[in-house]
Order: sequence, then structure tokens, then C-alpha cells
Amino acid sequence: MSSHYNSSSSASNDPRQPSSAKPFVAPMVSPQDLPVDYSGFVAVICAVAGVMFRYKLGSWLALIFCAQSLANMKNMENDMKQISMAMMFAIMGLMTNYFGPARPGKQT
Amino acid sequence: MARRHSSSSLFFTPLSSFLLPRGGDTLWYLLALLSIFSLLLHHLSLSASADSHFEGFDADDDESLDDDSSLHLTSIPLRTPPPPSVTLTSSDSESHHGPPNPSPKSPSDSSPPSDLHPKPSSTAFDYWDEDEFEGLPVVESETPKSTDSVSDSESDSDSKTKQEPEAVKAPRSLKNYVIEIVCGSFLIMFAINFFTGKKENERIALAWATKFATRDSIFDRNFSLLGVGEGNDSPLLLKEGQNVFRFYASGRRFCQGLMATMELKSRHDLISKLYNLVVPCKDEMTFEVYMNDEAMDCVVLALARKKAGKTMVKEVRDLQKFASLVSPPSGRKWVAEDLAVVSESKEVAGDLITEVVLEQVFGDKAFEKYGRGFISMHFSDQHSGAHKKMLVFKFALPDANHMDEMTRLVALVPYYIDLIGRYKLSSQARSKPEAARLKAAQEAYKELQNARQEALQKKKAEQRKLQEEAETKLSAEALRKKEAKERARQMKKAGPKVKMTRGH
Repeated sequence: MSSHYNSSSSASNDPRQPSSAKPFVAPMVSPQDLPVDYSGFVAVICAVAGVMFRYKLGSWLALIFCAQSLANMKNMENDMKQISMAMMFAIMGLMTNYFGPARPGKQT
Repeated sequence: MARRHSSSSLFFTPLSSFLLPRGGDTLWYLLALLSIFSLLLHHLSLSASADSHFEGFDADDDESLDDDSSLHLTSIPLRTPPPPSVTLTSSDSESHHGPPNPSPKSPSDSSPPSDLHPKPSSTAFDYWDEDEFEGLPVVESETPKSTDSVSDSESDSDSKTKQEPEAVKAPRSLKNYVIEIVCGSFLIMFAINFFTGKKENERIALAWATKFATRDSIFDRNFSLLGVGEGNDSPLLLKEGQNVFRFYASGRRFCQGLMATMELKSRHDLISKLYNLVVPCKDEMTFEVYMNDEAMDCVVLALARKKAGKTMVKEVRDLQKFASLVSPPSGRKWVAEDLAVVSESKEVAGDLITEVVLEQVFGDKAFEKYGRGFISMHFSDQHSGAHKKMLVFKFALPDANHMDEMTRLVALVPYYIDLIGRYKLSSQARSKPEAARLKAAQEAYKELQNARQEALQKKKAEQRKLQEEAETKLSAEALRKKEAKERARQMKKAGPKVKMTRGH
């Protein structure tokens, strides 16, 4: 088909029209239309659960989902809030888990 | 508590959107959530059992036991049934009731009874137990060594029990850090995968660009402006996130521009990668050609695989409104059997699916060979959105090393721009679709009018309400003023009287 196309284009002169070229304009996407950052959401849940129940798996999972959310981030400003909150909670949870006032159960 | 409150309010917006079904993602995130919860539950139950395990060991440990062998021997029947005479009593004691305990307890010292007590309670309430043990931190720290020894050394000599703890302790401490090890290694793997996956995606996108958008390639020969930047040396691709690449071209007859969007697999994201092992997906590329308004007649045509075609007719708005499935015409070659044609009229379908296209891509033989990457193609002058007259092509991207497979598909794009740009419906055939468009436009106009009217009415009602409120407020204020006045008057009236009486 490309060969056919070539012959037709050369026959009917150049299809290019530099005069009508429009520069690229990035399509605007409103913040509401952005896809939902599920992993960030899950990260926040896990992080809060980890902090509240002093539950290290929760904090670790939160860190993992934070990483996923960071990896999938497209827009800096929009996503940073949620991720940073989840990250803070996750780190707080881990800190209290490992360095905080030790529970007798954790001493062993 | 306060923390929980604040966080819950922050959740609110994502939660509402989370509940809305949104493409295929929802399913997988639900799955992810489910798996997380199951993990949580699993871990909770594990930790609970582990705790009770420890506490169970606490129950019959203590160095004091190891210190005198005689005590150690007597304490054994507590745990294990071997001696038949004790078995009966111990089996009773297993059902965590007090009464049978005293009989085995009697030979032992005072320490076992204190240990025995927590055992039944530990299975019931972990936290209560821990609190109780808080007072005895020293004993607690000593327990693990003996706990390990108890299981192994019951039948062994004392000397062995002292050496064993160190050997057994290593795996146990490792077991304690399973979560950390697993999560840490997963994070490391995630990081490594992020960089390798990113590179892989970039490689595919660049392979496409070098194949189709460099000098003397198909896009260079068709468009005067390539790339997303300004000037001659602009970058060809725009990267959005880690797996979306955009390519822009403009400056061609019949169209304003072309936007190609590559949506590659989330190779950079280990979790989605794992998910894609279960539900495979493809690297997709979408070409959107924005046609000039005067260059496109009333054309609604879609071509897709049978199943996708049927869903398109149901779900895509302009197809739903104007088009229907077209049965293959008799007496001429038609598209491969896998494909379904959706069009406004048979004439449009017949004119736009030309012999050339059939021969090159969509015919029976050619489609098997070259059409593997074809997903769908949708031309319409009634697209919803900013651009109404648009051609949309959707292809699956081949491997980075086999970009040639796509050549014929990509060649469809300029071919159809020219074909549709030159295409004019016959006056006879035009009447019907034009009538349909007029009708649709009228409907849309009516809807708009209705919406506007509704909005107006709402506004009016609101204004009226506001006015009424203001009136009531006013009247209330007036009433108050009146009352105040009256009171003042009465006071005035009463005043002199009082004065008079006072004066007297």
C-alpha cells in the first residue's frame, strides 16, 4: 500500500503544506479528568492503618504503593500531596514500630 | 482519634471516585485491595498465633527449670503426654480449665503455677497478657532462649540445651524479619524494574519514531511539521508519565494535524507487570487525525474486529446515533471475516473500503499477514469533543525489533486522509445523512435549550427564595424595631411616672 500511496502522492504533487502547519499545543486536561491514583489511595489507607494499629506490614505495603504511585506519576503538583502524605504516614509508622517505645511483645 | 478524623476527611474525594467504575482498572484495584486485606488478615492471624506461641512457651520456661534437672524432669509431663498415667490429666489440662492442673503442679516448684496461669488467657486476649507481663521485663527477655530449648531438648541432657539455643535462634530471628525482608527486596526489585522497564518503553517508542518519523520516512513525506516542539530540531516524541508517548505532525492538505499517542504497557511498574501476567494487554497506538472542516463530508464509518465492532456500535455515541452494522455486499470482495464494518450507509462503506485497501490490508489473505496489529479504525464527522471531524486509528504496536510489521497499517493513515479529503457523497446519498444530522442537531439544540431553561428557572427560584428570605429577615427586623420603639415609648410613658413617684 505504501508503494501505491507513493505513486499517487508523487502524481498529485506533494501533500505537504507548510503554510497550514500548526505548532503542537499540549492538550489541556483538567485535574478532575485525571485518572484516579488508586495506588496512592491504597498507600494512604495502608499507611494510616500501619500507624494506628502499629502494624508494620501496613507501613511496608504503604511504602510499596507509594513507590508505585511515584512511578506512575504524571503531574508533579497534583499527585505530590497524596503521595507525600502517604509517605509520611508510612515512615512514621515504621519509625514508631522500630524505634518508638518498644512494646514488650516487640522486644523479642 | 483526631488523626483518624483528619485523614478520613482527606480520603473523601478519592473515595467517591474510587467507587465509580472506571474502565478495567477498577477490577484490578479491587483485586489488589482484596489481596491486601487478605494479607493483612493472614498476617494478623499469624501474628496472633505467633504471640500465643510465644506465650505458650513462656508458660513453661524459666531458667530456673533448666537449673535443676529434677525440676525439669518433673515439668515435662505438663507439656507432653508420654507417661500414660499423666496423659489423662494433661489432656484435661489442655482444655484450659483449672481443676486438673493442681495434680501435675504439686510436684513442681512455685514458679510453674505462676506460669501456667497466663497460658489459657493468652489464647484469648493477647494484649491483656502483655500488659500483665509488663511488670516482669527481665523474665521476658530471658524467655526466648528457653522457649527454643524446650521444644528440642525435652528428651536431651542439660548440657545440650545450653548450646542449642544459639543454633536455633538464628532462623527464628530471621523468621521475625520476614516482612521486612520480603518488602525490602520487593522495593529493591521495584526500583530495578522501574529503570529497566522505563528503558524498554523508551526503546519501543524510539524504534517507532526512527522507523516512521525520521527523514524520508512515511510521516516526513506527508507532513511538513513533525514533533512536539518548535523549530526544525524539535523533539519528535513527548513523554507523558513513563508509558505514554505522544507524536505530533501537522502541515498537510485536508487536515489540521495528527496526534499519535502510544500507550505502552506499564513495564516500569512491577505491580502492574505482575497483574499483566494474569490479564495480558498490548502496546497500543492511537492516531487521531483532525480533518479540516470543509474537507470531510458526512462520513461515519468504523471498522473493527467483530466483537469490538459490536461493542462500538453500542457504546460510541456517534456510531450509536448514526450508524449500524453493514452486512457484506454480494458481488464484490469484502473485508476479512474477522472484521465488522459499521457505517451510516452501504454506499459510504463501499466507497471507503476500496479495492486497494482490501488488497493491501483488509482482504482475507492480507489481513492474516499484515492485519495482526489492527485494532480499530473510526472515521466520523460527529465526534464528541473539541474536534468533530476526526479519523481515529488504533493499532497494536509490534516488538521494537519488528516495527516493519506495522508499515502497512501506518500507511493507511495518509491514504485515508487523502481518500476522505477528496470524497464527496452523491447528492442523492447525501440527503439522508444530512437529514439525520439536522435532526440530531435539532435534538441537541433542544436539549441545550431545555438545559438552559432549566438553569434559568433554577436561578429564578433561587432568587425568589433569596428575596423571600430577605423579606422575612426584613420583616423580622422591622418587627423588632417596632417592638423596641414601643418599649421605648412605654418606657417614656412609664419613666416620668417613676420619676414622679421617686421625686415624691
